Amino acid sequence: MQYFLQLLISGLAIGAIYGLIAMGFAVIYKSTGLVNFAQGEMTMIVAYIAWTVSTTGSGNILVVSLAAILAAVSLGLVIERVVMRPMLGEPVFATVMVTIGLAVILRSSINFIWDAYPHGLDIGVGRGIVRVGGIGVRTGQIAVIATLLLLLAAIWAFFRYSKTGVAMRAVAADDRTALLMGISATRVHALAWAASSVIAGIGGVFFALSYDLSPAMFQLGLKAFPATILGGLDAVLGSGIGGLLIGLTENFAGGYIGSGMKEVAGFAMIIVVLMIRPFGLFGERDIERV
Amino acid sequence: MRNHLATVSLLTAALLSGGALAADPGVTDTEILIGDVEPLTGPPALLGVAASIGHKIAIAEANNAGGINGRKIKYVLEDDGYVTARTIQGVKKVIEVDKVFAMLGISGSGQSIAVMPVLEKAGIPTVIDVAPVKLLWEPARKNVFVVGQSYEEGIIHLVNYLADKNPGKTWGLITQDDDYGITVRDGFDSVVKAKKLKVVYSGTYKKGQQDFSSDMLQLKESRADVFLAGGIIAENIAMMKELEKLNVKPVTGIFWPGRIEPVLKLMGPAGDGIYAVDYVEPFAGEAGKAFLEKAKPLVTEAEFKGINRYTMTGYAAAKVLIAAIERCGKTVTWACTISELEKTKNVETGVMAPISFGPGVRFSNQKLQIMQADAATLSFKPVK
Repeated sequence: MQYFLQLLISGLAIGAIYGLIAMGFAVIYKSTGLVNFAQGEMTMIVAYIAWTVSTTGSGNILVVSLAAILAAVSLGLVIERVVMRPMLGEPVFATVMVTIGLAVILRSSINFIWDAYPHGLDIGVGRGIVRVGGIGVRTGQIAVIATLLLLLAAIWAFFRYSKTGVAMRAVAADDRTALLMGISATRVHALAWAASSVIAGIGGVFFALSYDLSPAMFQLGLKAFPATILGGLDAVLGSGIGGLLIGLTENFAGGYIGSGMKEVAGFAMIIVVLMIRPFGLFGERDIERV
Repeated sequence: MRNHLATVSLLTAALLSGGALAADPGVTDTEILIGDVEPLTGPPALLGVAASIGHKIAIAEANNAGGINGRKIKYVLEDDGYVTARTIQGVKKVIEVDKVFAMLGISGSGQSIAVMPVLEKAGIPTVIDVAPVKLLWEPARKNVFVVGQSYEEGIIHLVNYLADKNPGKTWGLITQDDDYGITVRDGFDSVVKAKKLKVVYSGTYKKGQQDFSSDMLQLKESRADVFLAGGIIAENIAMMKELEKLNVKPVTGIFWPGRIEPVLKLMGPAGDGIYAVDYVEPFAGEAGKAFLEKAKPLVTEAEFKGINRYTMTGYAAAKVLIAAIERCGKTVTWACTISELEKTKNVETGVMAPISFGPGVRFSNQKLQIMQADAATLSFKPVK
């Protein structure tokens, strides 16, 4: 039982990180109809900025958190304004290629701005180990699970009740009609990029807290993308849950079948689920896949 | 007729005054070009940048001493991003476009193997230092020399040491699912067979894996006393932190690609006492400290921070190459340089055991040593 519970808690912790990044994918897709292949790289950049702030200042958790959020918002807005807005109205394939190019640029920037060494994000909390009944978990891992659950609730409320949330849904459903209703599609797009950057950035910061920061961190995006597909590319909440499912599947497969199965299990599950529900567990039926 | 004679005389004079210039590229009266292709971006930049810093230190040292027989060395460095196709492209570029005289490096093991046909065809003198694997010196190529020790020998040395120190104990191993992991596993298996070690856990992880929670939980459940962590850098850090979380601390050994000091800082107390094998001196020792003192005025502050064990391997290789070119005197040719490289005998670099090659011997076969991590000083210290 202890073995099972240890796998469960570790799976939820890594799954929560995948879930946060997956939600970032879904926010952009839901608002712009675009798959952002630079999501993992944006996650990594925000985590590196948080690390820079933590090492250059006092490392105060509030200062680092605020700086990371501001940096994430700025990153999202700049990318939307400089890179994505000029692509409005262009073929989807071209726009997707732009995000792939952006991913390569952001990935390479790590070595130019920082270095190739792994680093630890130390903000005084998150690295401690809590032991309950022989099960060990880092405080950062507990925090990321809690953060994901809180964000799921907050985002559900945002899309359900706030005017901006409803506007974002309207633009996603039919941007021309939304425009006629007085909704600014460009403003919605900018907001989506900023929100996506913040949500995924939170995942990145938690990853750096629980694990470490390295130029290989962008690969989290490769794990989070299947989580989005599993949950539904247009389902923000579903993507968060998809992340948890991928994390759990990986860990149980690794723990009960063998370490070689860990990386394969999540993808195997996606294949099975997509054969039954091609639009994902929580996605809407008529989405266009890229 | 008189005009023709004058032309022939002038050409003959030009050839005699700079025989090497006409024969081989990359050498002028004032300059010698040395090329290199390394991963300068992406995670493997950790080794590529560090190795290139080692080359730069040796080159700066030689240039400060007046160059090679009066010729200053110019270093041409290309980034391959650890992508084999780009390595081949980069090597072709420095040989055919930049027209370098000799090569150092080159990138990772797979990349070096892939460029072998290019190097062999070109015939350019090359000293490889970053990732020594047998395929680079077996079969021996006339113009390619390798400084270092084989991965397999390194693992055999480490496992033998740990087995002798922990008789009758159970073993666990995890390796990466690529050629590097296969080499580690082959070395491990050979000792397991020879010493009849009891292996209770054997796992493989996919390259790029970042979460090792289930793998380390399986290791814990297997109750392995000795653990060979076959990761490279970030993987070993993640494994050790996971073991710390699970409250287990087997005797752990790591391999030299991960034996860099920042790793210990990230492992924290979990990294204390882990064993490593290497053929270059630890920075905590006298030789390591002397090297850092020597390097400080020769590199920028950022480069100094980027120094790790690969800087030492790069430095040693560049020293050997420079010494061979120097022995050629004023007339520098590929043939002479290759011949002098072959005559390399007990060349002291201060960062590893003396380096030697020989007729038909293209591998320096460096002496190995076992080191142990000290978390308090964030350093590796030789085990007596």
